[in-house]
Amino acid sequence: MSQRKRSRGSGFTQGDDDDFSVVPTQTPSQVQRNLESRSQEEINRKVTELVQFLLVKDQKKIPIKRVDILKKVIREYKDVYSEIVNRAGRTLQQVFGLQMVEVDTKHHIYILTSSLPRVEGENLKQDIQTAKLGLLIIILSFIFMKGNSAKDSAVWEFLRRLRVQPGEKHEVFGDVKKLVTEEFVRQKYLEITPIPLTDPPEFNYQWGLRAAKETSKKDVLSFVAKMQNKEPSFWISQYNEAKANT
Amino acid sequence: MAESDGSLGRAPASEKGGEEDKDDDEEEDGEETERERPRPPGSSEGGGDERSRRMIRNQYRELICSVQQNREDMLSSKSNRLTEALEEANQLFRGVSRAREAALDAQFLVLASNLVKEKANELRSEITTFDSVTFAEDVLTFMGINRTEVDGNNCDSENMSGGYLPSNAWYKLGEEAEKYFRRAPSFHYMLGSFKSEPPVPRQRIERQRKAPGGEEKRAMPAQLKKMEESHQEATAKEVERILRLLQTRFRNDPCTPIFFFDLVVDPNSFARTVENIFHVSFIVREIVETYEITEPMINPPNSSEDEMETA
Repeated sequence: MSQRKRSRGSGFTQGDDDDFSVVPTQTPSQVQRNLESRSQEEINRKVTELVQFLLVKDQKKIPIKRVDILKKVIREYKDVYSEIVNRAGRTLQQVFGLQMVEVDTKHHIYILTSSLPRVEGENLKQDIQTAKLGLLIIILSFIFMKGNSAKDSAVWEFLRRLRVQPGEKHEVFGDVKKLVTEEFVRQKYLEITPIPLTDPPEFNYQWGLRAAKETSKKDVLSFVAKMQNKEPSFWISQYNEAKANT
Repeated sequence: MAESDGSLGRAPASEKGGEEDKDDDEEEDGEETERERPRPPGSSEGGGDERSRRMIRNQYRELICSVQQNREDMLSSKSNRLTEALEEANQLFRGVSRAREAALDAQFLVLASNLVKEKANELRSEITTFDSVTFAEDVLTFMGINRTEVDGNNCDSENMSGGYLPSNAWYKLGEEAEKYFRRAPSFHYMLGSFKSEPPVPRQRIERQRKAPGGEEKRAMPAQLKKMEESHQEATAKEVERILRLLQTRFRNDPCTPIFFFDLVVDPNSFARTVENIFHVSFIVREIVETYEITEPMINPPNSSEDEMETA
């Protein structure tokens, strides 16, 4: 992982962007030693800042990069990074019932998911995000039921049946095309990859990393089953796949 | 993953390919030379050609071998391996000029199409049961679509235009969708109760967003600088004027002190008064040092003066 420890020691430069991407691999005893050199108050302040940072970042559901956490919150507290993140994770869990999940271990990207079971009538606030989630589950259902990947033309043809036209301004979603191909992708709900050697270019729609964490094949299958008034086992191969995934 | 697979597949493939190549050469040598015979002038060039052709054959065999060995991976809908292999073959085909290489290309294509057929079969058996049209209809029903009676369910195009969705349709669906997500409820400030002391991260988000607007940014600072300059100048001038005023006042009449409020208060304009105090504040130090400032006093209400006035 980050074996290059060039940022450790005295040569800490604020302006160097690269510097932040390098997190020293810390052994617990090292962290312990570093912790002793900091006052508890300072550490706690950083933890609070990080919790706040994560919550605010999560408002837009855009995944949070570790680089940003380091650059914007941790700053000169890098030597105790892991301890701050652990404590912030604990606070999120204990106070807010949220879980910090690393969706991309290569680029170190985090999201927050709820670790509490949903309660009927829990969400008192219904806004555009609610509606967007409706559209999202439809697309995710379609992709999963079609074998985990679907061509863009198929997705849009399906959405047209639901009165959602890519070229038209939708009365709820506005620019739907942008919502699906940009916002959902940025939020990592969807992954859209161009299909090589196609002219005009075609795209493949797949589940994004966040979708896999926030929901599951099993949940989506139950949604489809509920909509169609059938048992999930009606679609036997999807049912088996969903079962294998849990 | 793809990398490791590739290298795994390649090592045995090249060995095997080499063997095959030898076998093939032995077997087909007679044929080959016969075929090539009616082309005497390019004999020396033919040697180089032969080498590159051998290379192409080798690459084709490698490719075929790796596709055969990584069948599962090729069939998986999660990977693009088959597409990649096809692309590679496409590249190779550019160098193909003779029937033998072309035959290998065809062999690869047969293999690939068999794989694709298998994949397609798998898909069919999996997916025929999922009918997206009825799913869409069921979803529309759930959203509370109001279908007109004339609208027949059998015609697609009519289906799509017919029916009227209530305005809360997507919200209703979204509410249902929420049950299937472990989505973290996003928190929001209530009427900015937290804004009085803006949290650090929030500021940062805003700054980030502003950053890309280059054009606007360039114009702004210039303008601001100018404004500040002129403002500063005006203040400096005003301060100097007041200082000069005081100096001439004391030069003309060095004995009588000047009452602070007399100097500063404009009975007709509050704004002017405030401005004066502001300007004087800049030279308070000079005033205190050079001239003596007697503290302006406001008498308590029960003082004799006050009583006299009210009486």
